[in-house]
Amino acid sequence: MAVSTPLLRVTGLVKRFPSLVALDHLDLDVHGGEVVAVVGHNGSGKSTLVKILAGAYTADDGSVALAESTDLHFIHQNLALIGELSAVENLGLANGRGAAAAAPFRSTEERARTRELIERFGAGFDIDRPVRELTPAQRAVIAISRALEGWTHPANVIVLDEPTESLHRNEVEVLFAAVRQLAAEGAGVIFVSHRLDEVLDLADRVVVLRDGSKVADEPVTEIDQARLVELITGDAGAVVGDAQSAGRRNEDAGPVLRVRGLRGATVDGLDLELYPGEVVGLAGVLGSGREAVPSLLYGAAPSEAREYTVAGQSYARRSPKASLARGIAFVPGDRGRLGAILEMSARENLTLPQLRTLTGPFGNILMKEERDETDGAMAAYQVRPPLAEQKFTLFSGGNQQKVVIARALRDDPSLLLLDEPTQGVDIGAKATIYETIDAAAARGTAVLVSSSDDKELMRLCDRVIVMRDGRMAAELSGANLTERRLVSEGYGFA
Amino acid sequence: MNNSSGGILRALSFRNISAVYIFIIIFVVFSLWIPEKFLQIGVWRSLLDAEALTGLAAIAALIPLVAGSLNLAVGAQVGFSAILSAWFLSKAGLPIAIQLPVVVLMGALIGFVTALVITRLKVEPIIATLGMSSILLAGMAAVSNSQQILGLGPDYRMIATTQFGGITVPVYVLLIVAVITWYVLERTPIGRRLYAVGYNPEAAHLAGVGVERLRIATLTAGGAIAALAGALLTSRINAGDPTVGPSFLLPALTAVFLGSTQFKGGRFNVWGTVVAMYVLAVGIKGLQLAGSPSWVNNLFYGIALLLAVALSQWERTARRGSAIGRLLRRRQPVGPGQG
Repeated sequence: MAVSTPLLRVTGLVKRFPSLVALDHLDLDVHGGEVVAVVGHNGSGKSTLVKILAGAYTADDGSVALAESTDLHFIHQNLALIGELSAVENLGLANGRGAAAAAPFRSTEERARTRELIERFGAGFDIDRPVRELTPAQRAVIAISRALEGWTHPANVIVLDEPTESLHRNEVEVLFAAVRQLAAEGAGVIFVSHRLDEVLDLADRVVVLRDGSKVADEPVTEIDQARLVELITGDAGAVVGDAQSAGRRNEDAGPVLRVRGLRGATVDGLDLELYPGEVVGLAGVLGSGREAVPSLLYGAAPSEAREYTVAGQSYARRSPKASLARGIAFVPGDRGRLGAILEMSARENLTLPQLRTLTGPFGNILMKEERDETDGAMAAYQVRPPLAEQKFTLFSGGNQQKVVIARALRDDPSLLLLDEPTQGVDIGAKATIYETIDAAAARGTAVLVSSSDDKELMRLCDRVIVMRDGRMAAELSGANLTERRLVSEGYGFA
Repeated sequence: MNNSSGGILRALSFRNISAVYIFIIIFVVFSLWIPEKFLQIGVWRSLLDAEALTGLAAIAALIPLVAGSLNLAVGAQVGFSAILSAWFLSKAGLPIAIQLPVVVLMGALIGFVTALVITRLKVEPIIATLGMSSILLAGMAAVSNSQQILGLGPDYRMIATTQFGGITVPVYVLLIVAVITWYVLERTPIGRRLYAVGYNPEAAHLAGVGVERLRIATLTAGGAIAALAGALLTSRINAGDPTVGPSFLLPALTAVFLGSTQFKGGRFNVWGTVVAMYVLAVGIKGLQLAGSPSWVNNLFYGIALLLAVALSQWERTARRGSAIGRLLRRRQPVGPGQG
């Protein structure tokens, strides 16, 4: 089957961003009847590739060519279905453009068509129910069916961008059966995923990207999990956390935070103990629970725990306000939406959580003291420009994050919770933020960092807890704390 | 950027104090057009007096709006309180010293109930206050039988008509309420938190701000101020008139939105509101004196409201645009290659 001309041919694709080369002369062929998996770490270029194929980015060089009368279809992670509408209605959304959009739809016909499309994948469910009531796998089948609407022949290319993100393991099989059938009928499939076991299960061929280049393009039979991890991370096996982060932990006074059986959002039973002066990382793929832990601990989202003590005191009714009063500070991952008030100045953002120390005898804010303090903070945390009166939105991402972290550290918290502390932050600001976190730990603050950036965790942390399916999968420290271990534990093939 | 002459220029720019320039234009036009009617001290004195109640209604709408709740019931709140006030005096025979505080407390209670509907039942403020407005209008009609309530006794009238230095009591009341509101909003931690809640309730919550309690407090305070305006209204016209109150809504909201474009670069604020309110009132007065039909009032306020909101939106997006431009010049966004 693979000898024919490819359905999709990508040649010498280059995409440059000012700070990095996202794609460096990438070649990729996809033939009819095969499933090609594209894997790689954060920043490897795989999402840039998908965005160029989808037309969201324009390539700087190279070409994307489709065989004659071949179409390219996408199924994105969120599936783009309307939850309140039924399968029939979701499939019908694409129909009847122009004048036909005003014509009454022919419901019998549409229903028959929908049933036919869905039954092709061996899936049977109520096509009149709102799709949000269906299982994620059933929704994925609808999304695929919709992509297939209007195919006049089977030899098209379909791109699945992290389609199994929201699926349970047993539901993945339903989706995979549909994909295999598509391929059997002659379609070419590009499968982008970071779940390596699924890649090995589904794909015929694996393309590994690292730093924008293709480092491997091999049949799946020639490759195993260990080799795949090696290809993804490169030769990073020997890197350990840097020396200065060792031995800061102070156990004399007992743990700052002790949590048993934390549950809530995607977290399903996590035990945690943090001591003054240590920096602890949380790693794991998206959906592992890693991203939910800091906000649960802070009380920003409802959670349960068998035990939750702060400095030996039980802390049951958790809320941001109560957490701040107990010396717990939180830096949310979504800076623009949750981290700060964009319309306010840096000064107003810096002092918002704690104004009592700046309040005068008439309940008034002591303006001069406030200005002096915030001017000092802008200098101390190296915010550029150091103008406390400037509106928050006018700072660059990195400098915004410096302000948010300065705010969190203002009251010398005993526990600092960080979610993706350097997301969207340039390299220079990153270094400053790392130094700030080191300094806070040196002063005795316990720091918890949740991050998708493994290099960041290795730079910052004394130990890293790797999460999978809402629980701790492994705890890595010292010589065990390597990028390779972080990846393999996160994917679950230790 | 920081030198003082630049600061003064910016402070005097059209963008910062457009209402003042609009006032000058209005003043010049009408002074040339109808000088014999427009340039009378009596006209200005009565304007100051009559519009003081509009100013109170505007502040009653402003305070919840700072914390993010648009109050469409403010006119009905003024009207209901006015009727309640008249009814207490003429039908229930309450003494003034009791009637006045009771009316204000009732106003606060109405605001409080509206706030509970918004925070506990999770009804959007605009819908909650629209519903509340309709309920209050029904209440007004029921209490007053849709007729003026007369016979308030000779004393109550004195409250709103007594003058000090040629200026009536409602003007002083407005001034006091405005100063207190200014102080709380601009000079206290509560005010700081209120703006934070209005801009971004989620981020404010994460910063330890008690979002719900503050929202409830603003609607309660707004209700009390609206009730004060209602009680003064009844005193001023010496009757409980069920038709007057609701007409406060449009001028009040227009003043708040136009006021947000003044002085504080897009922030809702008291002095912007009061100045905008009087500027708009002068415009209306001039049109009336020039003999325009009464429907011009609605036309004028409607256009002014649309322009005011458009102006504040434009200002916001213009600033955002320049912010984005600056970011792009500094460095391209990082991270497209991630994920």
